[in-house]
Order: sequence, then C-alpha cells, then structure tokens
Amino acid sequence: MMLAMFRVMFLAMVRDRAALAMTFLLPPLVFVIFATVFAGASGEDVRLRLEISDQANTPASERLIEALLKDPQLRARRANPSTPRTVRRQVRAGKADAGLVIVSDPAASGAPYLVITDPTRAMASPLTQGRVQTALAEHLPDVMLAKTLDLAGPVYAPLSPEQKRQAKTIVGMVEADAKAGKPPMRTQEMFTLEEIAGAKKGRGTIVYYAGAVTILFALFSAMHVAMTMIEERQAGVSDRLLAGAAGMTPVINGKFLFLILQCGLQATAIFLVAQVIYDVPVKAHLIPWGLTTLASSACAAGLAMGVVSLSRTREQAQMVSTFLILILAAVGGSMVPRFLMPPWLQSLGWFTPHAWVIETYQALLWRDAEWQALYPAWGVLIGVGLAGLMIAHLTTRLVRR
Amino acid sequence: MTDNRPILNVWNAEHAYGSRKVLRGIDLVLKPGEIYALLGPNGAGKTTLIHAICGRLRLTGGEVALDGKDPWSTPVCRASLGLVPQEIALYRHLTVRENLETFGRLAGVKGKALKGAVNLAMNLTRVIDREHVPIRHLSGGYQRRVNIACAILHKPQLLILDEPTVGVDIDAREALDGVIRDLRDTGVSVLLVTHDLDQAGTLADRVGFMREGRKVLEGSPRHLISQAFGEEMEILVQLSEDPDTGEEIVLSGAGLERRGATNLWSRLDAGGYAAAARLDAALRASGLHPREIRVRQPSLQNLFTLVADWQPTS
Repeated sequence: MMLAMFRVMFLAMVRDRAALAMTFLLPPLVFVIFATVFAGASGEDVRLRLEISDQANTPASERLIEALLKDPQLRARRANPSTPRTVRRQVRAGKADAGLVIVSDPAASGAPYLVITDPTRAMASPLTQGRVQTALAEHLPDVMLAKTLDLAGPVYAPLSPEQKRQAKTIVGMVEADAKAGKPPMRTQEMFTLEEIAGAKKGRGTIVYYAGAVTILFALFSAMHVAMTMIEERQAGVSDRLLAGAAGMTPVINGKFLFLILQCGLQATAIFLVAQVIYDVPVKAHLIPWGLTTLASSACAAGLAMGVVSLSRTREQAQMVSTFLILILAAVGGSMVPRFLMPPWLQSLGWFTPHAWVIETYQALLWRDAEWQALYPAWGVLIGVGLAGLMIAHLTTRLVRR
Repeated sequence: MTDNRPILNVWNAEHAYGSRKVLRGIDLVLKPGEIYALLGPNGAGKTTLIHAICGRLRLTGGEVALDGKDPWSTPVCRASLGLVPQEIALYRHLTVRENLETFGRLAGVKGKALKGAVNLAMNLTRVIDREHVPIRHLSGGYQRRVNIACAILHKPQLLILDEPTVGVDIDAREALDGVIRDLRDTGVSVLLVTHDLDQAGTLADRVGFMREGRKVLEGSPRHLISQAFGEEMEILVQLSEDPDTGEEIVLSGAGLERRGATNLWSRLDAGGYAAAARLDAALRASGLHPREIRVRQPSLQNLFTLVADWQPTS
C-alpha cells in the first residue's frame, strides 16, 4: 500500500519537468555558485583594489608607489587626479576596496600614510597596511633603516658624527642594493607555512556549503511535496481513504519514504558535483556519507510532513514553511557560515537540523571523523524526522474525528 | 452477500458537537441491492451521519453496524464500504487507469485481482475508452464516473455517494444514473446523499428526509408522494417573461407560487386537468398569457418543500 503512494508521488515528480529541474538541477547549481564564491574567499586569492594618491611627491614616496603598483597581490592604481578627495570618492563608490594617501615623505618622521576604508570591507585596512609594510621592507629598506636610526638614536644613544657618517654609508649601500633589485631582507622568509595534512584549497568551505545547500533544498522540496497532504484533504482523497480499512497510514508512510528518496537523490546530485569538480572525498567515505544523507533526508521529510500536517490550508502551510525554512537556514548556517556567528547564535544553531547536517558532513568529509563521532548527529536527525512523522500521523487521526 | 441481511444498520444515532446536537435519534437500515437517498437541507445532519457510518466519528449515543460490526472500533469492516466524496477525489496528474490502480492498491487489492478489478470498474462506469487519459483532461462527467470507479475496486457491499451530480450536465447525469443502477444490479447497496431531488426520485428505492438531526420522513418516493398529496396534481404555469408587480398579485391570488428564480409558477390542486383549464382561463382573463400550462404528479421537490416548511410543533 505504501508503494502505491510512493508511485503516485514519483509519477507526479517525473511528469512535472519544472519541478524535476527545481529538485535536481537547482540545488547543485546553487551549490556550485556558493562553492565558487566561498572557496576563493579563504584569503590567498584576494587581490585588493587600492587607489593611491601621492601628496608628498618625494623620491621615497614615488619608489613606494612604484613598488605597490607592481605588487601582484594588489590591484593598485594612481588616483586621477591624485587627491585625497578622489581616493575617498572611489572607495565610497566601491570602485576601490581601500585608498592610500601618502601625506608626507615616507623617509621623514611622523605618520606619512592615510588609509581610507569602507567599514563593510573590514579586511581591507589590515591588508593595505600589510602590503605597504611589505613594500617598504622589500623595496625601500633604506628608508626603513634610516627611519629606525632617526627614531632610535635620540631615545637610546645619540650617534656621534662618525657613527652618523657610517650609518649614512650603510643606508646608501642598502638603497643601492634595493634599487638594484637585491633586497637585503625578505619578510616572508621569517615565516614557514604548513597546511593541514591532506587539505586542499578551500575544501573545508566547499564541504560546508555542500551540507548547507543539501539541507536547505531538502527542506524546500520536502515542504513542497508534503503540501500534497493538504491538496488530498481538500480534494476529498483523504475522506475516501479514511473511509477505507487502512485509513491514511500507508499514505503518510508512503509519502515519508518518497521524501527520503527525493532528498537523498538531491544530496547525491550535490555531492556528486562536489566529488567531481572539487575533489571532495565522498567516494572514500561512501557508507557513512550514505547514512548521514539518509538521516538528514529523514529529518527533512519528517519535519516537512509534521509542519504541513498542522496547517489547515495550502496558503497557511506556504507561509509557515517559508518562514521556518528561512529562519532555520539563517540560524543553522545555511546562509552565513557558522564560524562567523557570535557564540550564542552558534549555540542556538544546534536547535536546527541545518547545523547538525553541516557539522556532520564537515566532520566526515573534511575532518575525517570516526563513525562514533557521527552517532549523536544521526540520532538527532532521525529523531527529529520520526517526531515529525508522528505528528503527521496524529494530526491525521484528529482529522478522522 | 447471499442472504438479505442488512448491510447497514443505524440505531437511534445521536451525536453532539459540544452542546449542539446534530443527530437526534436516527434509525437507518439498508438492504443489499437497495438505493437509499438521504435528503435534507444543509445542516440537517447528513454529513455527520455519513461520518459515523464511515467510522470517522464515535456517536455520543446509539449504534452503527456496518456488515454487522462497528466501523469506529472495528476498522476492518470498512472494507465493505466505498465512499465517493462530493469532490473529485482523484490524482489529476495520473491517468484513469493509474488512479484506479492506486486506489485499488490502497484498498488492499493486489496482483491479478487488481487488474481484473480495474477493468471491471472501468467497464461498469463506462470510462474504459479513456483509460490512458490524465484526469485533468477529462470532462466533468467522466471525472465523476472515475470518482465512482475508484470506490468500487474492492467490491464494497455499500457505496456511499455524496452529491454525485454536482456540476454535471443532463447527459452526464443520465450516464451517472445508469452507472448507479448497474452497480445496484450487481448487488451493491447505494446510499445517495443528494440535493438533486429529481435524481433521488428517479433512482431511489427509498428516500429519507432529514431535518434538524431527525429523520422526518422515510419510504418509497411514490408512496410518500401519494401519502402526502393524495389525489392532488401539480399545475405548472410557464410564463414568457418576468411578471410585473400587478401580475404577481394575480398569480399569487390564483394560489400559484414561484419555483426558484425562474418564470415557472406552480400550485397543487386535486382538480387535475379541469382545474388547469380553469386556471388558464382565469389568468388570460386577467391579461396574463402563459407560454405553457402543464399538469403532473407531485414530485419529491413538492415533498421537500412541504418537509422544509414543516414545524415540529404543528
């Protein structure tokens, strides 16, 4: 009997091409967009757009500008006309991520740089300061050295005329080397980088969004399909079935099974793309991935059926489900990464299936977690799904009366 | 069923929603192969009674026995019941055959038996020529017949039809009547809940009028009509156009009452054709020229009007 309802739902899906595309093409497409955006946001591919204005017009400021214009990690350009106002206008218009105004000679004492940033691009200011420091160290070490001597001398021990002459000679030699392209100091040599074993560029973020998009669309499509329960009620199908010996039990269970299959296929499409395009190791974790997918599908199916069964009309169900899906997605981390949320919101996220699904896929496909670590999440997800299914059954019994 | 044991027995059915009593001691017996029409205005308690028969509510008093068992406490006995809801309770994206297969399976019919049941139901309801057409592409009449077909797949002994002719034209209604008669001829008992008094009068072996939770009349249509109206005949006067106020006074003075929102006026008269001739002459003398005057036996419509006007205290 359950299979009869399963067949009804299946035929409804395959005969509605728009719904078919929405169910199986849209989720992988959205996932690819998210993955493309966020996988490149890990830092190494960021090329800051920097607008520069030179108000000092000294040889050192000119050298610094030349160095910044050549920096491959920047998209720097001179402001035209070269005024602070132009720089501010470009940053305000979003045509530059940050602005740099060299207000006085870099070799002189004082604060020669003014960094202009948009508060919505919080990383632009430290990145600009970092690139200026790097340019000074690599291309203007003489300026740095001279400034250090000028600052340190009066404070700790004034230089004798002979020492001053020697210092000037050293500064001159450093300048000559720098101009010859032989920087005496390379800041990056101070650090050695080590990436997490087995980690590939941006994969953690990709796995995150694979999970986030999976549960988001699972709930969307499950809610849509679950609304057929209301249509059946309004069309009298429920009346017909409730008058029969079996009642609505096989109908509810058949729908639940179908929704698990549909959500499972949706997840498969998303993670297939993740495996093929982004080399996410789904194949290597096939069984636990399958169980996680089963648990998340059961959760989405049960939750959708429970929510829809409590609604009297399609309009009511539509409103409640849209509200619920968006709130759960926002709090659970399907819209904004959970690690960017304040701690209290991260904790609140554990009351949504999204957080459990995202963290479970991440634990499995990014952190290579053991099976035992996944048991609690599987338990929670299946528990929520069964609770929703129970509500759907109970509500149908109330309708019977 | 090999004997003549009633398939449905309702004894002194009572039900209340809170303090509002909707059933006040209804008795109903349906024998195999009988068509029973349940009539009554909205709010008479028909739907509540049907829900009780379908096991969807527990009566606050009295009993229902479907095939000898209580449909509320013994759901398995509901296998002998088929319900045809007022709505087109079908999956519109599925074809006729697919719908029948689905509802057959949901009613517990499987394998070869299902195939046979589907073919039989399509033949009985005369929809086999559209078996591969999706429901949404069928006319209203066909949809109504498929609606019935889906309720007879498990060979129910009692078929409940809730307003089966809503929204269908005369041809489709006649086809539906034929289907219902054919089903009755196979031994199925039919409980027809309808506002279509013509259909009830044509099809039903017995009718029952409900009003305010009580059954106020029951019997064969012919018997009830003759009991209520005796020798009286109904004289129908068809006018060509709307009468003005003065003409309305003349018509009312002649004892005629307007039937619905039409230009048809009628009265009951024991004088028959002679009375009709006198009425025609009187109307013409008053300047009214009816397009047609007919005389016929009173119908259930007249009875329904009588029952609707009946006051329990009178």
